[in-house]
Amino acid sequence: MPRQLAFELGHRTALGREDFLVAPSNEAAVALVDAWPNWPSHGIALSGPSGSGKTHLAEVWRAASGAARIDAGDLATADLPGLIAAHAVIVEDIGTLPDAGERALFHLLNLAKEEGGFLLLTGREAPARLPTRLPDLASRLRALPHAELGAPDDALLAGVLVKLFDDRQLRVAEPLIAYLASRIERSIAVARDVVDALDRASLSGKRPISVPLAAEVLRSMGLALAARSWTGNS
Amino acid sequence: MNEDKLVSAAKSAFRPAGETRGMEQGRAEARPARALGAGREAAESGSAVETGSGAASLVESGLGEQWRRVRARLHAELGEATFNSWFKQIELVGVGDGRVMLAVPTRFIRNWLLSHYAERLSTLWSEEDPALSRIEVLVHTRAAEVAPVAAEPQAAPAPTLTPAAQIDGHAAPRHVAQAAPRFTAPQPTSASQIPNGFEDAGVGAPLDPRLTFDAFVVGKSNELAHAAARRVAEATDVTFNPLFLYGGVGLGKTHLMHAIAWEIRRRQPERKVLYLSAEKFMYQFVRALRFKDTMAFKQQFRTVDVLMIDDVQFISGKDSTQEEFFHTFNALIDHNRQVIISADRSPSDLEGIEERIRSRLGWGLAADIHPTDYELRLGILQAKAEEMASRNGPVTIPDGVLEFLAHRIVSNVRELEGALKRVVAYASLVGRPITLDMSQDVLRDLLRCNDRKITIEEIQRRVAEYYNVRLADMLSARRARAVARPRQVAMYLSKQLTTRSLPEIGRKFGGRDHTTVIHAVRKIDELRAADSGMDEDVDLLRRMLEGGNGAS
Repeated sequence: MPRQLAFELGHRTALGREDFLVAPSNEAAVALVDAWPNWPSHGIALSGPSGSGKTHLAEVWRAASGAARIDAGDLATADLPGLIAAHAVIVEDIGTLPDAGERALFHLLNLAKEEGGFLLLTGREAPARLPTRLPDLASRLRALPHAELGAPDDALLAGVLVKLFDDRQLRVAEPLIAYLASRIERSIAVARDVVDALDRASLSGKRPISVPLAAEVLRSMGLALAARSWTGNS
Repeated sequence: MNEDKLVSAAKSAFRPAGETRGMEQGRAEARPARALGAGREAAESGSAVETGSGAASLVESGLGEQWRRVRARLHAELGEATFNSWFKQIELVGVGDGRVMLAVPTRFIRNWLLSHYAERLSTLWSEEDPALSRIEVLVHTRAAEVAPVAAEPQAAPAPTLTPAAQIDGHAAPRHVAQAAPRFTAPQPTSASQIPNGFEDAGVGAPLDPRLTFDAFVVGKSNELAHAAARRVAEATDVTFNPLFLYGGVGLGKTHLMHAIAWEIRRRQPERKVLYLSAEKFMYQFVRALRFKDTMAFKQQFRTVDVLMIDDVQFISGKDSTQEEFFHTFNALIDHNRQVIISADRSPSDLEGIEERIRSRLGWGLAADIHPTDYELRLGILQAKAEEMASRNGPVTIPDGVLEFLAHRIVSNVRELEGALKRVVAYASLVGRPITLDMSQDVLRDLLRCNDRKITIEEIQRRVAEYYNVRLADMLSARRARAVARPRQVAMYLSKQLTTRSLPEIGRKFGGRDHTTVIHAVRKIDELRAADSGMDEDVDLLRRMLEGGNGAS
């Protein structure tokens, strides 16, 4: 998964529990994960758009539970009893579950229940919305406790921007954060891309990270709207 | 694993500190006990709490005191949260043969303790008593409320002593108090009749203690299946063979099968009951084939009195598994053993299963479960809500919420119960009261067929309709309040319901600056706080937009 662990850029995203920023858009998901092992069910699901924190939150739970981790795409050929032996399993990105994997996921849910293990499913869409072909699986997925990580509100977006800079050992001034937060789409994925682009632009141009540099970067990223608004000719 | 089987062996091997019935144990050999004795009469009388002598021996030994110190140290070392998650629910069962035996409520907690804290626990214990070097952890189950499966060797009546938890100054867990009076000691039997580690081999699936007849809500749609299941569970001889329960997913077939198993265990503990899913049957068989161990496999299945196979539709396709299933099935029927099968469709509709098997599955009684009606759904929700309250403390569910769920979640019982569980869990996790609005919000993935992305254009159109202004006014430069206010509402909703940036929202409203959008958002926020009419308007618009077609 890996875009978050962008080792090639020489920084590591902090994925600890204390690094997770709680906001109204994700508080239910955080509360659900934190409630483990007193979950309301053997399995839970987290859904949300790319970059909303599913992987981070799953990582928080993995650290607490020692969960095994598998991509939904690999389930069909996985050793299920071996997986559940860890008593905690994260199935990532269930939206990519192939038809051939449906029985495996069905069996895994049953095994978790029988063996007293826990499953955490992540995906962009709520599990109830997956076009599941196997009715037995569909009804189990629809019955799972599920929490959505929504689009961040302004405060969370600003907090995430600070954290993203901080992950790169960058200290930036508050006005830059406010500038970015009001001009980019309310999406953590976009925030991540923008911070990445700013960091690169700053390094390659040997310029400090500032509002004017941010305006240039937004324009070069095709976020020309923001730039136009900044230059005041709208 | 069978929860009950090794109990008496465990009991006789340990100096007991509490009720050990219905416990499961990794390994237990019968060894001479260190301080058995005091509580035997108590066992006879079936009382779990009135023994003085057993408790006395514990207090004398200081065992309770040692355990309290161990717990205090763990608490200090690990902190409140970790301690509460893993150690709070541990009970001391007893010590013996150099071992300390603890009991926890779930299999999972046992495994977790053993893999993460076994060493620490044994170190702490050996500091208390150097002779104690090993930790064993049992799982006690609510199955304790039901008489144990089959017969246990009862050479000596089991000692029933004061629960360790009580000595420890904590309230005794409910299941302990309930278990003892209902327990009836089976007659002594010869060793040959003892189940031979049957479920321990992982052949069967554990039974869910919640799935009993008492917990099954009967309505028109399931009364036939329920009556048939009761009949089979209560009969002393084999009546319908096989009993074939069928119906759509999530309607209660598995519940009825577990209920039959519990009832048979309660009434006729000597009968050997095996419940498992068809997929598990397949897994076992394939494994047996791989390890060239099919004889043992066959033997395991053919020595049961009651075999239950859930979701038999999964045995389609694979010919050798089907063949093996058929042989097992025939052998049991021929020997007058009860077979109970469930499937998502009737025997004759099973696809990919050979004709001769299909026809034989239909020989006994086939009882179907229909989709639920409203009254049954409501009854199920009420029963479920009560059960949740009895386990987790009071839950306040206002009028209308259960009715709403019963009205809207019509697909099946599993989803219905899942929906209630989700609402209750959300309320308790986030610390908010349950309301109708909140329930709709939590279950929106179930209630709405898709999560459409709301567009700014849609918001403009809907707001214009609502306030009866022209769509063009949303984009115009007019500043008259009659159009400016709806425009601000639309900007506000665009900010809340889409992820668009302020400059982009401004552009869509006739090329306005992002500061205009900020102003609109602040203005509407203020108005909502000051004017309940405005607040309701905005909320209604939001729900109309999120609901798709104007339905609230």
